[in-house]
Amino acid sequence: MATVAPSPSPLPSGERVRVRGGFPVEAAVQPRVRLEVTLRRVLGPDYRMGFLFVAPIVVLVLALVAYPFCYAVYLSMTRKYVGMAPVWVGFENYVRLTYDGFFQRAAINSFIFTFASVGIKLVLGMGMALVLTSKIRFRSFWTGVLLIPWVAPTVVSALNFLWIFDYSLGVLNYLLVNVFGVLNRGVGWLSEPNTAMSSVIGVNVWRGFPFFGISFLAGMKAIPGELYEAAAVDGATVAQRFRYVTIPGIRNIMMIVILLSTIWTFNDFAIIYILTKGGPGGATMVLPVLTYEIAFGAQRLGEAIAVALYMLPPLAFVIIVLSNYMRKGRIR
Amino acid sequence: MDTRLKHLAEQLDAGLIARREFLRKAAVITGGTAAGLHALRGMAPAQAKTKLRVWLFKSFVTAGNDVLAKQVETWAKDKNVDVEMDWATFGDREQKFVAAIEAGNPPDLAEMNIWGPLRYKAALRDVSKMAGEVAKSKGGLLPFAERAMKSDGKFLGVARYSMTTVFFIRKDIMEAKGLKVPKVYDPDVVEFAKKAQDPAKDLYGFGQTLNRSDDGDGFMDNILWDYGGGVWDKDGKPALGTAFLKQNTAALQFAVDTIKKHGIQPPGVMGWTDVSNNESYMAGKLVTTNNGASLYFAMVSKKHELAPKTLCVLTPGGPAGSFVGSSCYNWAVFQKSQRAELAEDLILYLEDEKRFNEYLQVSVGQAGPVYKGRVDNPYWKSDPNFDAMLQNILRCVNLGHPGPMTTAAAEVRGQKILTDMAGRVVVGGLSAEAALKEAHARVEEVYKIRGKA
Repeated sequence: MATVAPSPSPLPSGERVRVRGGFPVEAAVQPRVRLEVTLRRVLGPDYRMGFLFVAPIVVLVLALVAYPFCYAVYLSMTRKYVGMAPVWVGFENYVRLTYDGFFQRAAINSFIFTFASVGIKLVLGMGMALVLTSKIRFRSFWTGVLLIPWVAPTVVSALNFLWIFDYSLGVLNYLLVNVFGVLNRGVGWLSEPNTAMSSVIGVNVWRGFPFFGISFLAGMKAIPGELYEAAAVDGATVAQRFRYVTIPGIRNIMMIVILLSTIWTFNDFAIIYILTKGGPGGATMVLPVLTYEIAFGAQRLGEAIAVALYMLPPLAFVIIVLSNYMRKGRIR
Repeated sequence: MDTRLKHLAEQLDAGLIARREFLRKAAVITGGTAAGLHALRGMAPAQAKTKLRVWLFKSFVTAGNDVLAKQVETWAKDKNVDVEMDWATFGDREQKFVAAIEAGNPPDLAEMNIWGPLRYKAALRDVSKMAGEVAKSKGGLLPFAERAMKSDGKFLGVARYSMTTVFFIRKDIMEAKGLKVPKVYDPDVVEFAKKAQDPAKDLYGFGQTLNRSDDGDGFMDNILWDYGGGVWDKDGKPALGTAFLKQNTAALQFAVDTIKKHGIQPPGVMGWTDVSNNESYMAGKLVTTNNGASLYFAMVSKKHELAPKTLCVLTPGGPAGSFVGSSCYNWAVFQKSQRAELAEDLILYLEDEKRFNEYLQVSVGQAGPVYKGRVDNPYWKSDPNFDAMLQNILRCVNLGHPGPMTTAAAEVRGQKILTDMAGRVVVGGLSAEAALKEAHARVEEVYKIRGKA
């Protein structure tokens, strides 16, 4: 072990032999300098300033995203009632939900609602974009009109549809029965399982397809006209031009729009809650509405968060696919 | 006397200061004091008032809401208190309470429904002393209200009024068809509805949703009791698909039959919300329906053409009798309140008979009695339709009947398990017995979990 020989020192008496971990101060400084050099080499010469600039956003992310998320994960593993302290139960909530038939139906309904809605929105959005790229009169006007469902607040739209779908007082049955005479009697749009699910999907589609349409429209306008001309010269039909020029041209946008819409639709709460509250008989119960019902109806907050976190794996999968796709696109 | 003046007087007596010196100093002291007091008086109104956060229930009886708000404002002015009033509706009150309690920021005082004291008891203050005094001054609480307000022997709410439901009948159609007021659902209501309705003209005999809603769940509870069944046994244990299976099967089958077999309900009834039957009745598309006094208020206040053609009668029953679920709106003070005394003072002010009577007069039957002393109020004889409201309140039973009112019973209602059960039969294709057993499993789950709580 190195020893410190008593030697004349500028330090005041009594501080001359300051040792840290048995080593003299001078010896301890060496590794610190080495570390500093390494950090500068790895992180760059301005790494301290870099940390300073990054620190606020890191703190914000930790406070607003990481902490609430971790706390939610913790609460999902507790028995937590309103106004009472949480009691740790481990995975009990998740296990119970897994075998709960009501939850299972809600999960299946969520997938039906999401994939049916996104599929129809894709087709309608594509149609809207194609129509708006063609030579129609008042194109700007129609673009604006078609954007109205997207702009209107969801609650307002859903409340309007609640009235539209009403059996006795709704305008839809009135039109079908009294004006057009298509049906002898009205349809219980929100009172039968199939029509109820179709109705909530319909409202979601009505609200969401302009987003698809406008995004596709932007993508289509970016495709050079020469490609279509060249394809036409080569004898490509309209369908072939759509298949081999338009679709590849908007493929990136299409992927992103589909993935974003899947996330939004999977988490859609307002439309179903306002129109059916998950009824009749649980026929339109989806996971976000079930989460709400367990949190505020049953007031079991731990279990409600467990339901919400059950949605995480499929959504995480979608998010990972989306971010990978976007990263690849950037590299290209 | 001011000590400084006294000291001066002693100095004058002892000859230590001259009389002129005494007068000068005394003038300075008294003048300064007077000026200081004047300045303080001017500053007093500018000081921050004591603040009290009050959440009131926004009922459909808007005239009652206005009266209540004015009374609170008058009290606040008298007491020099800054009251922050907020309203909770049928649709958002639970969310508001849950969010406020979990955020640690509940109001000082809140108007709650009958399940409030039970559901939020962990956050509520024991108000036994005041609730007891208020009850005593009004002849005592009606039994259902006392049971609902008490938890573990302590009052967690001060009862205010009961908002019951009654059976609404189109009197004009009933008389035109020569029909009598139905006493039981099966066969009276069924026969009545079949004879009174005219589906070709979009007029249906009976309107009662079994969809997820407070109306639907309330009806399901009542009909199970009417047939001698229920969700809970007398010990408060689940009995939906076990001890009461036979009775409950008959009750559920009847409820479903009103839609599927008898054809007395509008085709869209399984998609109804809590306001749908009000709208349909007022649109002249229903002959009968179960509803609260708010429907009658809406018609009377709007001078609706159906108001004078409406007859409110006792809710029909079944083989085991006629049962109606209770209601008891109440005042609850939160434990976190720093101004509990002020909150209690406001409760006493509002529950004073003069003030309550002012509210009652505009309630159109919604503010039913929860105290024995309010049963004989002449108001209940001022309209023939009020009698059914009063009688329904006097015979009502609490959630959990025939057992105690428990948190598990409140949760089963909160989760809308009974209407989910009915929906599984009406639209899911299950048999009544299978749906009961499926629902029973959910009730058992709630019972186990709440037991652990």
